[in-house]
Amino acid sequence: MERRDFLKLSAAAALAAPLARPAIAQTPTTVRWWYHFDNPQNSPAALVAKFEQENPGIKIQAEAIPWGGGNDYQTRLFAALVAGNGPDAAMVRLSWAARFASMKALEPLDAMIAGWAGRSDISDNVWKINKGADGKQYYLPLQYVVIYLYYRQDLFQQANLQPPKTFDEFLAAAKALTKGDTAGFGMRGGAGGFDNWGPFVLGGGASFEKGGVVSEKALAANRWYVALAREAKVTPASAPTDSFRQIVDAFKAGRTAMIMHHVGSANEIVGALGDKVSAVPVPRAADGQGWTYFGDESNAVFSASKAKEAAFKWIAFLSTAENNIELNKLTGQLPITTSGAAQWTGHPKRLVEASSASLPIARSLPDHPKTPDFIARVWPTNMQRALNGEISPDDMMKAIEQHFNG
Amino acid sequence: MKDRRSATRRFLEVEAPVLAILAFALAPYAWMVLTSIKPQAELSIWPVRYLPENATFDHYRELIDRTTFAGNLLNSFIIATGAAALGLSVSIPAAYAFSRFRFRARRMLMTGFLVINMFPVVLLIIPLFILMKNLGLLDTFLGVILGHSTFAIPFAIWMLTSYFNAIPKDLDEAAMIDGASRSETIRLIVLPLVMPGVVTAGIYIFITSWNEYLFAMMLSGQAVRTVTVALQLFIGEFTIQWGLLTAGGTLIALPVTILFLLVQRRLVGGLTAGAVKS
Amino acid sequence: MRSQSGSGTPPPQSGSFFLITAAYHRPSRWTPFWFLAPALAITAAVVVVPAGQTIWLSLQDYLLYEPDAATFVGLRNFQAILRDEVFWISLWHSAIWIVGVVGLQFLLGLVTALLLNQSFWWRGAARALVVVPWALPSVIIGLMWTWMYDFNVGVLNDILVRIGIIDAPIAWLARPDLALAAIMATLVWQGFPFFAITILAGLQTIPSELYEAAEVDGANRRQMFRHITLPSIADVIATALLLRTIWVANSLDVILVMTGGGPGYATHTLPLYAFVRAYSSMEFGYAAALALILTLLLLTVVWLYVRRASRDLDR
Repeated sequence: MERRDFLKLSAAAALAAPLARPAIAQTPTTVRWWYHFDNPQNSPAALVAKFEQENPGIKIQAEAIPWGGGNDYQTRLFAALVAGNGPDAAMVRLSWAARFASMKALEPLDAMIAGWAGRSDISDNVWKINKGADGKQYYLPLQYVVIYLYYRQDLFQQANLQPPKTFDEFLAAAKALTKGDTAGFGMRGGAGGFDNWGPFVLGGGASFEKGGVVSEKALAANRWYVALAREAKVTPASAPTDSFRQIVDAFKAGRTAMIMHHVGSANEIVGALGDKVSAVPVPRAADGQGWTYFGDESNAVFSASKAKEAAFKWIAFLSTAENNIELNKLTGQLPITTSGAAQWTGHPKRLVEASSASLPIARSLPDHPKTPDFIARVWPTNMQRALNGEISPDDMMKAIEQHFNG
Repeated sequence: MKDRRSATRRFLEVEAPVLAILAFALAPYAWMVLTSIKPQAELSIWPVRYLPENATFDHYRELIDRTTFAGNLLNSFIIATGAAALGLSVSIPAAYAFSRFRFRARRMLMTGFLVINMFPVVLLIIPLFILMKNLGLLDTFLGVILGHSTFAIPFAIWMLTSYFNAIPKDLDEAAMIDGASRSETIRLIVLPLVMPGVVTAGIYIFITSWNEYLFAMMLSGQAVRTVTVALQLFIGEFTIQWGLLTAGGTLIALPVTILFLLVQRRLVGGLTAGAVKS
Repeated sequence: MRSQSGSGTPPPQSGSFFLITAAYHRPSRWTPFWFLAPALAITAAVVVVPAGQTIWLSLQDYLLYEPDAATFVGLRNFQAILRDEVFWISLWHSAIWIVGVVGLQFLLGLVTALLLNQSFWWRGAARALVVVPWALPSVIIGLMWTWMYDFNVGVLNDILVRIGIIDAPIAWLARPDLALAAIMATLVWQGFPFFAITILAGLQTIPSELYEAAEVDGANRRQMFRHITLPSIADVIATALLLRTIWVANSLDVILVMTGGGPGYATHTLPLYAFVRAYSSMEFGYAAALALILTLLLLTVVWLYVRRASRDLDR
């Protein structure tokens, strides 16, 4: 009984296997590209078709990989690179750059970028943020994502408040708007929440250089930030573990008056709140310094690829004017090109303006192999412990210093 | 055993508690179903609204039309059935051996089979990925089936062993005295008696494979994508597609429940001890 | 594994059967291994290599993104683990996790099985429906329950406030004192059907003649439960508990989705901590060592169980 079953199964599998493997065309070059869209029902098929028409001889195999909070996508990618069957190009995050560099997994793109017409359509600031630690360009920016401050302009008007420009104005506004069921600031203490913490602490004088997280200014800034939750109590009780889903839901439901996020959630939020919501760049310190997170999304070509030029053509295609606009219609983010941003109608104008106005203070996290660990483990656990009073804010900063600088 | 209780007593002692337990089991699922028929604008509002104002099947329509969900359901079904078939076909003889025979390596092997389940799977996933790549089994049905059955088999063996132990050995021996070969004994006498256990083990493997995520994510690409991986695609970097996710979640429980409904009749044991009487 | 003495014991005069049996049919020494071969082949092929690699990794200082810089460090990872406060916190949480989740799943599952074993006309539908929590993928369960526990828009807070059990919403997953309990409740919900079905199958294999004989002898329902039902399914229960313990000990999907181990370390269990060190820090050597400790602890439990069970078995 068992042998027959097993044989049947092997036969079925043998039949299925060639059917399961995607057909690889013989003469044209094939470029395997891994991507992740927040809206998987949107497929890049139209862009692929357009590209293949303009570039006969190149076939694109686009494969959607689940994001899984970043972990799944990262694991698939790293495992494939280690096993030797990684894709030719993929969407990648800046925080992985240092690890890729250690593995020598990426192909420097400087030469190919130099000859690319669309290069000037991307602002210099963006190129700077995306540069590798060794000065070479490995990443080709794809979307423009910066964190700004959403606020309920109707509540602000009722309370006769202006959208906050400095930390002190921010605290005053948050206090004024914390009443009843509503909290002034929907702080994100869970995964990814360093982009809420950064504007106040990194903008408030901390830096990731040696000793920069435990300087007097840095410690004071972090104490101020923790006090938002513990002393001023302008945050909801769930703040320590709230992630983007929770802060957006609470904001949409009218339970918070301000949150920090980016234009990716704009349509959803405007869909719920309409004209009641607007956005401004995140507040700055009294001395004019500011920091906001440049939530990157770029493409890169892998050094193990056998079709590097073709792969570059594809990713350059995606970052060129109309194509980039089309792509961002699929992903719900802002186009990376200056020309594209100018004609963009995918999001309400006031939110696009807030994004563009944030560029001068847009930064990324240090290009260090320990950065992804900071984002996913060191920052959340220490922030949560500080917010819950298990450790002091100063201990939190010491742990961060320990993590980066040993 | 005849149930001599009155109908009311039976209701209070049996049916009412069952209703309570089912309410507990199904409430979150019901909440998910309700969410899946709410239009986008009605999700996540305060105060919580339980029933949708404008019920819509848009999410389901979008799920079937614009995503590969239907195909993924089929893939999951093929893989789960394959894993159950493969798993049962190797677990039944193994459990029989552990139950009926006494041999020196027995305890060690029983323990050894379980060892692999004692490792957190997440750490094995990358070496397994490399192994499957070397065997050429990436993105194939067989690859995922092997991955799933490997982790389900030890549990199935242990469960089946305990069900086999409930059948007295004398039964086998009586049958073999009467001239039956061992395989005939197993097939015609023991297996029918242990059918509830076989059904349970089969369901266990099926369910484990059906809602398994990690292997399916690592070992399959777009060709044999399972429904758990497809659902994960709705959880993006910046948004969660609640409508599609809850619609998918509602559908994903249905095949298993229907399958179990069909199969649970086999859970009724029909044995009497009379088989051993001369 | 206790064998039931009641069912199928042949009447005394068939003692001669045993003599004839022993002389007539002695299975070859290799028969068991033929029966085991297919299972061994599959598990060995797919499992031995990765397991061996994990053991090897635990003795290395291995960062996934610096594969060439790996150095052999012997037991140094394990020494570091013993000094690691997060390890001890995770171990403690794992203990609470296992005992609480398995215990409550078992109790609820046992009650459910006993109820579903009775006859009522919609029994088939009830049995099928009780499977639903078990049939859902962990990610859905995690997301739905996170939403239900949500402080701002969650149904649980809404219902509890409306009924009057609490005055104000509770941030279930953000409070270090409640988060683990909240997730344990989710796991009990997810896993009790396993016990219900497994025990139900065991109950179905009890021959009805035993109950009938006992009834003739004047036993009431409680006595029949204690002296017939429980002993008959003791083996099935013990096995189910053991298997479930192993599964629950290693499970981390739902915790990962719901809190990622937070707030702070409040929902860190040992496998979750190993996962975080592996995939966030990419310190595969350290993570492998953590995993190995969990494996050894479970192995000890299983080995003790197997030894004791074999001693009881006197066939």
